[in-house]
Amino acid sequence: TQGMGNLGVGGHPQQQAAPTPQRPQLNQLYPTDLLNQPLNVTELELPPPPIILPPNSSVTPSPQANCPPKYVRSTLNAVPTTYSLLKKSKLPFALVIQPYTSLHDNEDPVPVVPDQVIARCRRCRSYINPFATFLDQGHRWRCNMCNLTNEVPQAFDWDASTQKQLDRWQRPELNYSVVEFVAPQEYMVRPPQPLVYLFLFDVTYASVTSGLLATAARCILESLDRIPNADRRTRLGFMAVDSSLHYFAIPRDGSGSSETSMLVVSDLDEPFLPTPADLLVTLSESRQNIENFLERLQSMFQNANSTASSLGSALRAGHKLISPIGGKITVLTASLPTLGAGKLDMREDKKLLGTGKEGSLLQTGNSFYKSFAVECSKNQISIDMFLFSSSYQDVASLSNLPRYTGGQTYFYPGWNAARGEDAIKFAREFSDYLSAEIGLEAVLRVRATTGLRMSTFYGNFFNRSSDLCAFPAFPRDQSYVVEVAIDESLTKSVICLQSAVLHTTCNGERRIRVMTLALPTTQSLADMYASADQEAITTFYSHKAVERALGSGLEPARDAIQAKLIELLQTYRKELAGGNMGGGGLQFPANLRCLPALFLGLTKNIGLRKSAQIPSDMRSAALCQLSTLPLPLLMQFLYPRFYSLHDMPDNAGLSDEATGDIVLPPAINLSSASLAPYGLYLIDDGQTQFLWVGREAVPQLIEDVFDIPDRAQLKVGKQTLPILENEFNERVRAVVEKSKDHRSRGVGSIIVPHLYVVREDGEPGMRLWAQTMLVEDRADQGVSLKQWLGMMREKVVQ
Amino acid sequence: MEYETLKDQWSDVEDRDGIRLSWNTFPSSRMACFEPGSDSFCKLTMIKEASRLVVPIGALYTPLKEKPDTPLLQYEPVACKAPCRAVLNPFAQVDIRARLWICPFCLSRNGLPAHYKDITQDAIPPELHPHSTTIEYRLSRPAPSPPIFMYVVDTCQEEDSLRALKDSLVMSLSLLPLDALVGLITYGTMAQVHELGYTECAKSYVFRGSKDYNAKQVQEMLGLAMSGTRPNVPQNPGRPPPPMSSAARFLLPVQQCEYQLTNALEQLQRDPWPVANDKRSLRCTGVALSVAVGLLETSFQNAGGRIMLFAGGPATEGPGLVVGPELREPIRSHHDIDRDNIKYYKKALKFYDNLAKRTAHNGHIIDIFAGCLDQVGLLEMKGLPNSTGGHMILTDSFTSSQFKQSFVRVFDKDSNDSLLMGFNASLEVLTTKELKVTGLIGHAVSLNKKSSSVGETECGIGNTCSWKMCGINPTSSYGVYFDITNQGGPTQHQQGPQKGMMQFLTYYQHSSGQFHLRVTTVARNLSGPTGDPAIAQSFDQEAAAVLMSRIAVFKAEVDDGPDVLRWVDRMLIRLCSRFAEYRKDDPSSFRLEKNFTLYPQFMFHLRRSQFLQVFNNSPDETAFYRHVLNHEYVGDSLVMIQPTLDSYTFDQEGSVPVLLDSASIQPTHTLLLDTFFQILIFHGETMAEWRKAGYQDQEGYENFKAILDQPKEDARELVQDRFPLPRFIICDAGGSQARFLLSKLNPSTTHTTSTYGSTSQSAQTIFTDDVSLQTFMDHLMKLAVSGTS
Ligand SMILES: [Zn+2]
Ligand SMILES: [Zn+2]
Repeated sequence: TQGMGNLGVGGHPQQQAAPTPQRPQLNQLYPTDLLNQPLNVTELELPPPPIILPPNSSVTPSPQANCPPKYVRSTLNAVPTTYSLLKKSKLPFALVIQPYTSLHDNEDPVPVVPDQVIARCRRCRSYINPFATFLDQGHRWRCNMCNLTNEVPQAFDWDASTQKQLDRWQRPELNYSVVEFVAPQEYMVRPPQPLVYLFLFDVTYASVTSGLLATAARCILESLDRIPNADRRTRLGFMAVDSSLHYFAIPRDGSGSSETSMLVVSDLDEPFLPTPADLLVTLSESRQNIENFLERLQSMFQNANSTASSLGSALRAGHKLISPIGGKITVLTASLPTLGAGKLDMREDKKLLGTGKEGSLLQTGNSFYKSFAVECSKNQISIDMFLFSSSYQDVASLSNLPRYTGGQTYFYPGWNAARGEDAIKFAREFSDYLSAEIGLEAVLRVRATTGLRMSTFYGNFFNRSSDLCAFPAFPRDQSYVVEVAIDESLTKSVICLQSAVLHTTCNGERRIRVMTLALPTTQSLADMYASADQEAITTFYSHKAVERALGSGLEPARDAIQAKLIELLQTYRKELAGGNMGGGGLQFPANLRCLPALFLGLTKNIGLRKSAQIPSDMRSAALCQLSTLPLPLLMQFLYPRFYSLHDMPDNAGLSDEATGDIVLPPAINLSSASLAPYGLYLIDDGQTQFLWVGREAVPQLIEDVFDIPDRAQLKVGKQTLPILENEFNERVRAVVEKSKDHRSRGVGSIIVPHLYVVREDGEPGMRLWAQTMLVEDRADQGVSLKQWLGMMREKVVQ
Repeated sequence: MEYETLKDQWSDVEDRDGIRLSWNTFPSSRMACFEPGSDSFCKLTMIKEASRLVVPIGALYTPLKEKPDTPLLQYEPVACKAPCRAVLNPFAQVDIRARLWICPFCLSRNGLPAHYKDITQDAIPPELHPHSTTIEYRLSRPAPSPPIFMYVVDTCQEEDSLRALKDSLVMSLSLLPLDALVGLITYGTMAQVHELGYTECAKSYVFRGSKDYNAKQVQEMLGLAMSGTRPNVPQNPGRPPPPMSSAARFLLPVQQCEYQLTNALEQLQRDPWPVANDKRSLRCTGVALSVAVGLLETSFQNAGGRIMLFAGGPATEGPGLVVGPELREPIRSHHDIDRDNIKYYKKALKFYDNLAKRTAHNGHIIDIFAGCLDQVGLLEMKGLPNSTGGHMILTDSFTSSQFKQSFVRVFDKDSNDSLLMGFNASLEVLTTKELKVTGLIGHAVSLNKKSSSVGETECGIGNTCSWKMCGINPTSSYGVYFDITNQGGPTQHQQGPQKGMMQFLTYYQHSSGQFHLRVTTVARNLSGPTGDPAIAQSFDQEAAAVLMSRIAVFKAEVDDGPDVLRWVDRMLIRLCSRFAEYRKDDPSSFRLEKNFTLYPQFMFHLRRSQFLQVFNNSPDETAFYRHVLNHEYVGDSLVMIQPTLDSYTFDQEGSVPVLLDSASIQPTHTLLLDTFFQILIFHGETMAEWRKAGYQDQEGYENFKAILDQPKEDARELVQDRFPLPRFIICDAGGSQARFLLSKLNPSTTHTTSTYGSTSQSAQTIFTDDVSLQTFMDHLMKLAVSGTS
């Protein structure tokens, strides 16, 4: 607990007086008119309504006693005491949980309880937290979830390392809502496993000629030092697949042989391991030979000529190889698997796109992918898919593998290493991917005050039992949504929701990350609406929409979003605005003013948008993101950022003097009304950046930014901005870079968006694509924000 | 003619034509020589008792017998019209003026080809020369590919053994022709096909050891089928085009892949899968062979090649397993087989026999080199070499010189530096109408070719006039059996004595890359009227003994041991009844002609030999001995049947042949026994004592030293041309190794006889219940003269 004093916590506890629950004043309802006071996009940057707890709710006066929104957000920061009130409100009650806010621990450290003294409730198994209370001169503690009185553990006040009495009030778990416990032996069913990466390369003709194999091999080679390996136990394995399975036996350094052997197995019926040794090698012990191997990998397949991929069989083989330990299977493929287990058909039919039958293309084409993924989950294997095909690859089916194993689908449509931008994007992302400090053999459980129950879980994991989510590997760039049911009336003024992630760190330590969120209760609908978190609500409905799209189709998913918005507006009007529409307006609380725009953005997202032009692989990949992106990135994905660059303020694109961070220009509304014909704009949805060049952009601007004398010569499409010695160029580049900065936004992500240059008077396809980002515009088959609100009003006044 | 003269004549024929016949005069009709009488035994015999000669007319033929001084004809042979196709030979009548020749087999008239127009009585082509009863043609048909050598290596071995094997294999690369194609398959728990054409790293295709892959699967899994590969891959400039034959990735000219293959062999590790203490290594010999066969089958059908298996132990996994992996489960013995207590035997036998059939059909050879103290399953696998003309070499270890030297001998070369091995060989036999082919016994399979030369009865592999041998070498010898047709007198009108004729046509791929045809034409007089003494005089007892041994062994493969022994006895008795002089029911009057006298002894030793008495050997040894017997020519076969014994002692110059009899064991004698498979030097009691005392190193005992050294030198001499290299044993009287000698000796002094004091007290007493030669002969004479057989 050293350094705790510096953090300004600890100190004396609240004396436990007789509980006289003094209901504090919760957030005030500020009604606004959506039509007469149009949305200003900067409202999106406002924090959620604050959580207002009665004084002395926590056992220490620590300012970090309650959970910060970057870890856990509730759709409701005032919780109704009854189910009927929740039902009446039409608001959802759900948590958005993002246990990690960066790829690496040192970028966002969390207090650690190192002494393996873990006080947990005997009945509900909750971890002691700042909202527990002590009784009997501190010998016992009362669980704030189930009220059971528990003994305080013997060593709770004893520092074993110094052999001295410890000040209990300094303990991190009583001061911080987010802590990490170092788990003792009993939290392990087996010794902590080493980190295992099994790389599965596609070596078909298409893959090899796209440069995928070479780029991936080079990237791994150059990232060997970044792969977490502090305990020197990290193991790597490599396989390649075309119509056969290729295993690589890599000898240990200094073992006599330094040459890798390739073992080819073409028997796909029941894949088997061709040798018991050297297929999964310890990075530290075989470093030199791994490097030799990676250097030669590309030339090993220079004559690749197979067109068929037996990926499913290769996965089975990979499963066989690493299942005794568990770990990650990292698949890099550019093919549709057409051979062996889980073979898939080319089922996309352009005629189906945009029709009611499109939904079937988003569903799994072969049950293998789900059943195999579940099997992997049982054996602590997580699968990440890096997909590169230039034609149909059935992302819908393949994405099941990450979905149930805590993995992720990364999609690079039409990728080719010959394009520098493609190569750089993938290399940067893959390198960050390799460096991420993932957790292993993890489970997530959420416990709550008696009366509450976790009813549904959304995200990439396997729901092993009613309240337990299993993650063979725990990623750092995803979030999860849990819907909460109110089973019994809540009598307390404060309820708690405690999320715990039990996992093995990539350093071989067993740990529990515990996040405790306390929320006030209320019997008032107004309190509920006033404390509702529009971004958390949108996140919840984003997951619901994905579920709906996969289950019933795109149209029902979009309809449900619209219906929900109408329902909320109607409920608000009827219950809280006295049925008054006030002069043709549309009333809604200030804290929910972005909801209509976010919902509109959701229906217009590439994953859900009504269109006959979107290949199903693109849709499927987008659906994967809609159901995994951390909240800040999801908001941006639904309502992209839009900056005007030609007229940005003087400080924009330069370092802020106080923080050293690059200052971004103010965001503007996503409407073509904002586009001046002479302007330069950046549109960024977190996946793609568009640099929009107006049709009347002056030559000086073009010259300064692109080093091109004439706008007509400016080519459009993926590119990298030249580094020029003029201030404007530097500032534009700084803004473009800063817009990609995930860390400053409290999320971990590997995504490096492509930058596309778009000319207003250039290639129409590119322009139209950029314009789909302008969510407030009317486009394709979607309505403008104004029309959307008009439609809402019509429905609401009915 | 004097017997000795005849023997010389037969020997000359053997030198010239590589052939020995059991009878050198053929009966002109069945009635001429056959006694009437019933034979109740005929149910069991392969040859129906058509041949009342008792010993059938048979030829032991060594087609590729080396004839360094015979010219190789560089043109296509002149053949009779179809269906006869007999090749022009010295026995054909040639009408030079009419440019015609009359085929002695079918009596057809054939025109001589245009380029024979210049021949005259004094200038005849070589094939018509009287000495050209055997002649070889080099045909214009080239071999489809250079010879192929596919090494199939067991990696479940001790380090030293594997090391030694690797050394031998690496060394063998230098013995191969530069253009020979080589490949490598290794196996243990799984089978691996090494892609030698791949140079980026060591690469191999792995096959599950427990699965029975068919040829199509092997082909697909090795990527030999074109399916699954991209049809219209644009050629990348600057890269070599993919090889024409995709199998070329696995089989490359040795000059091209020597480095890669040497490297692969050097890097060979023991099978990496762990083996529990109570288990045998998992060894998928069946899968490895099946993959090898499948690979060659796909891409090199009818191209000469040999699959060389190096087995360090029995198959314990997958198809063809001969014993389970549990150590407590022993490998089958003759007793188990006798009691039908065999778990895997029949399945394994079927598996390997099918594989053998496929391999033979493809024209390939399978050799088995076993380097293991225990059995490796030769019994089950014997069909592979037996059907394909492969070698079967049984040694204790790959570290033994027996293996190393035998292996090197496989690659022996002739004076032109061509390997002394032929590939893809087949043999066709034509006869004149009196003779019919009844079958062949040797390493071959039937080609199921019917012709007018094919007899109705069957002896060995019958019902065909043509066989495929695949592998053949200068010592490969085949027993070919004939019958006499029962059709009146001769009809052809020729001067001189009537002759029965055979023509042997051997096609094979010479290791130099061209097909050759070896033609041997045999003509023998037909006998006169019934009772012609020429028939008896023409009996070659040595050839007959070997030909009968082959029949006995052939029968032993399918019949019970005792039945075969009874058959051998009965045939011998009947031969004696037929050809001995005696007064009926008076054994003392029994006399045999000179050319029959040794025959009963041969049969006596055959009965006692490891070929028919299997219980003292393992089933693998039995398979091995029988395999070798079926490969050798008359002389070596006789040594196997009746080993030679030489004695060395003081007061005599060099060695003296002595009887293969326990009486030959004397304290002051050193014996040299040659059983073909073993060379044994035995020191009599006194000799052994002196040697242990070191007299040989003392001055004045040079004589004694010589008696110790001489047998060793003579043994070296014997071993010189011997293949496989025999086991070399030196033992002393009373030593445990001496049992190898004792088991071969006629028990003239067994514990039952010695009490009579009828033999020298110093002679070795043999503890055996076998009857002695004397007892055997007594019984034989009694039965032969009684006429009850
Ligand atoms: Zn509790
Ligand atoms: Zn003819």
